[in-house]
Amino acid sequence: MSRTFSDATPFPEGARVALANPQLRRNLRAATTTIREKRNLRVGEMERWEDLRLAAEAIKGYSINHLDDLLAAFEDNLTRAGGHVHWARDAAEARRVVQELVRATGTSDVVKIKSMTSAEIDLNGALDEIGVRAYETDLAELIVQLGDDLPSHIVVPAIHRNRDEVRDIFLTHMGEWGRPAPADLSNRPSDLAAAARAHLREKFLRARVAVSGANFLIADTGAVAIVESEGNGRMCLTLPDTLITVAGIDKIIPSFEDLDVLFQVLPRSATGERMNPYNSVWTGVTPGDGPQEFHVVLLDNGRSRARRDRVGRAALRCIRCAACLNVCPVYERVGGHAYGSVYPGPIGAVLTPQLDHVANDDVADSLPFASTLCGACFDACPVRIDIPQLLVHLRGEVVKRGQHPGPERGLMTGAAWLFRSPARVDLLARLGSLGGRFPALSRLRVPGWIGRWSVDRTLPLPVEGSFAAWWRRSGRPVVSTATGSEPPRETREHLDARRAVLDALAGPSATTYEVIPRAYRDLPTLTAEQRRARFVERLEDYHARVHLCDESHLEEAIREALDGRSSRRVVVPSTSLAEWIPEEYDVLIDRDTSTEELDAVDAVLTTATVAIAETGTIVLTAAPDEGRRALTLIPDHHVVVVRESHVVDQVPDAISRLDPTRPQTWFSGPSATSDIELSRVDGVHGPRQLDVVVVLDSPLDVKDLGSEFS
Amino acid sequence: MRVAVFVTCMNNMLYPRTGVAVVTVLERLGVSVDYVENQTCCGQMHLNAGYRREGLVLARRTLDAFEHADAVVVPSGSCTSTMRHLWGDVARDEDDTAVSSRLRDFAPRVYEFSEFLVDRLGVVNVGARFPHTVAYHPTCHSLRHLRVGDRPTQLLRAVEGLTLLEIERPDSCCGFGGVFAVKNSEVSAAMGLDKIEEFRRSSAEYLCASDNSCLTHLRTLSERHGPSVPTVHLAEILATQEIR
Repeated sequence: MSRTFSDATPFPEGARVALANPQLRRNLRAATTTIREKRNLRVGEMERWEDLRLAAEAIKGYSINHLDDLLAAFEDNLTRAGGHVHWARDAAEARRVVQELVRATGTSDVVKIKSMTSAEIDLNGALDEIGVRAYETDLAELIVQLGDDLPSHIVVPAIHRNRDEVRDIFLTHMGEWGRPAPADLSNRPSDLAAAARAHLREKFLRARVAVSGANFLIADTGAVAIVESEGNGRMCLTLPDTLITVAGIDKIIPSFEDLDVLFQVLPRSATGERMNPYNSVWTGVTPGDGPQEFHVVLLDNGRSRARRDRVGRAALRCIRCAACLNVCPVYERVGGHAYGSVYPGPIGAVLTPQLDHVANDDVADSLPFASTLCGACFDACPVRIDIPQLLVHLRGEVVKRGQHPGPERGLMTGAAWLFRSPARVDLLARLGSLGGRFPALSRLRVPGWIGRWSVDRTLPLPVEGSFAAWWRRSGRPVVSTATGSEPPRETREHLDARRAVLDALAGPSATTYEVIPRAYRDLPTLTAEQRRARFVERLEDYHARVHLCDESHLEEAIREALDGRSSRRVVVPSTSLAEWIPEEYDVLIDRDTSTEELDAVDAVLTTATVAIAETGTIVLTAAPDEGRRALTLIPDHHVVVVRESHVVDQVPDAISRLDPTRPQTWFSGPSATSDIELSRVDGVHGPRQLDVVVVLDSPLDVKDLGSEFS
Repeated sequence: MRVAVFVTCMNNMLYPRTGVAVVTVLERLGVSVDYVENQTCCGQMHLNAGYRREGLVLARRTLDAFEHADAVVVPSGSCTSTMRHLWGDVARDEDDTAVSSRLRDFAPRVYEFSEFLVDRLGVVNVGARFPHTVAYHPTCHSLRHLRVGDRPTQLLRAVEGLTLLEIERPDSCCGFGGVFAVKNSEVSAAMGLDKIEEFRRSSAEYLCASDNSCLTHLRTLSERHGPSVPTVHLAEILATQEIR
């Protein structure tokens, strides 16, 4: 049975437990510092970051305003593409739907991609009820599952664990779930990731059913987009026969075109990467490629009610990047468990109370107060959710329902009474300053609720009388209300009329977001040299090997790529590509090649549809020379041939060249994980080695390129 | 131009010297200052804690008192932010269209102290002398809610004899947060003690800020846990003309 937050304590108690754990605080401090620096580096290099944030806010804001129409369009388009849509009003209904779908497959285990929505409805518990074991395949989720732990972060659920703890968990528990960890396992993140790869590989190759969440649901194509790093997502999305995607209705966006913003802001905000290693976008069912049964469960669970709150609805814009957690000074001290919800941190504090039963009522009522309102979250938020404003709003709702401590009500009523009268304030200041003559008083520890202040702090006592008293003593004049320079009569009339007109215009006006500001696209075009240089630099940043060649030297370049990794047995998607491979290699042309056979080859060779210089990203669209999605996933070495004319400057340039209905795999470097202490390790489940052969448009000048092919 | 000082409830009762310093600096710069006797509290504590009705009563009182001033100068980032932003947010929550309407004219005339000096008076050197090392804590409301930017440090850099020292992680919150310091007092203390440690590593003599609420939290924490941190409001440094 999976653990849940159902018996969690309100935030102050949870925070106390966390604060008492010095190891946890060290882990959190190190991890949040690392990820902040990465994020700042990658955001800092974006000239148009604020324009991207404005566009992202507008896209998500528009989507929330038009949820009904967009969801209906999504359902139509997905159904037409061969998928099935199910609707769930609440967690219980979503659990039942998934239970029935899984039961119908007859499977006894499913593989899962990390999904907050799944955790929100405790889907693993629901599957357990019907005797189905759910295997978490994201490295951090695996650490949490094996350790019988709870997630503490939206993107990096095991952020509270350090490498030693992860090793101990793997050594002790991996064997209970399948292939055990090697007995001599070290605490190096690369060894830990390798152990996870070996442990999960047999599950991926065997799995018949997968469960995922979604990053985006695209209304105009009925497509789903999933952003990930390790390749475990691609494994789950491509190998099983049946895929069940559970997504909140807030995940909808209008159009594929909008990914040109969201694919830029999400990775930089979430993991501080220019682009995360893998993005998958697909709609419905593609014959011969990926699951042939595809279900999407659309979950409400309080979202439609939150949407009716004109302030609270902004929380539905969230794209779950967790940038707000990483910058939050409160989160940094207490970690995610203190929040008593699968959604921790600043966004959790505004989302949890608005959703149904994500936390118990005492926890939900404590969360809006779990913040100093410092505003770091708002500045980091890529969709510009003014979290402090929402927190204050939700605090008001808690107080309105009478869910506040009695002594607090007393303090507030007393203070309000005091401050209604300057004379009372004066009297109190005078009395207080008498007390101030006895400095020892300030060291008293006061009992009771308000006395919590005095546990760690002295009492600030008045010592000098009030400012009001000083002013009067100084002989300066006192006015009863402030006076301005009196405007002439005609100006006064102008002002009165101005106010009258503006008042008449004021009224409930929601931000409409009908126009998406696209200023982020206004970037100078790169020259061919700049584009080539940037593409190579960004690929190499991700530890891909780059081979530049011209058309006549393609074969030699491919040979170098294969030999560099000692790859002998190569699979290709088509006969035309087989011709590019020199004779000495063992070539297999893919025709329904089994997963096991693919696992046995050394390398795969494909072309690509488009590539992005700025992010070092290559996009495959399952074209004849690119192959079905599994082909480029299972072999450990991918050699991809990219024609220079297919390289574009920026993400929006790529989006505009892509067919939104084709299954897409975007990859940026080899598969990678940062789930252990946020230290990047190349190679988890997807290909661990990536070679990119760039075929230049014009013949190469030997002198210019030194050791490259001529 | 008539300038009214809203000294704030905390400064009125606990730090009258901050209010005196504001008046001293403004008068030194030739500004005539009004003191409105009816002022008490902007309602920040109530409004931030969710007590909208009680807070709005105080907001309306403050609005009544200052509405006719050409400019209101407030030596507190968080109170300025309350008047400029929070009043409007809560008025909207409570459908108080009258307050919303009055705020449209009033909010642009509310200035945090450093904003008033730099933006409205166009002054950076206010003729102060303070031969000490100082670390500046920018405070969250000044930094992120008001975006006062480097105005306070521009003012400090122009003070004769003053050496401004860097503090690590300058833009991180001190942990005060109003009722947060009571409702989540342990987290608040943990954050404050980190900030104090960062201040100590700066080796500055004084910790300066534009908001006495943050400074109170840090000073009282340091007094309990020792040794005490000498705190000083920006206005007090700017008012000082310490003799050599």
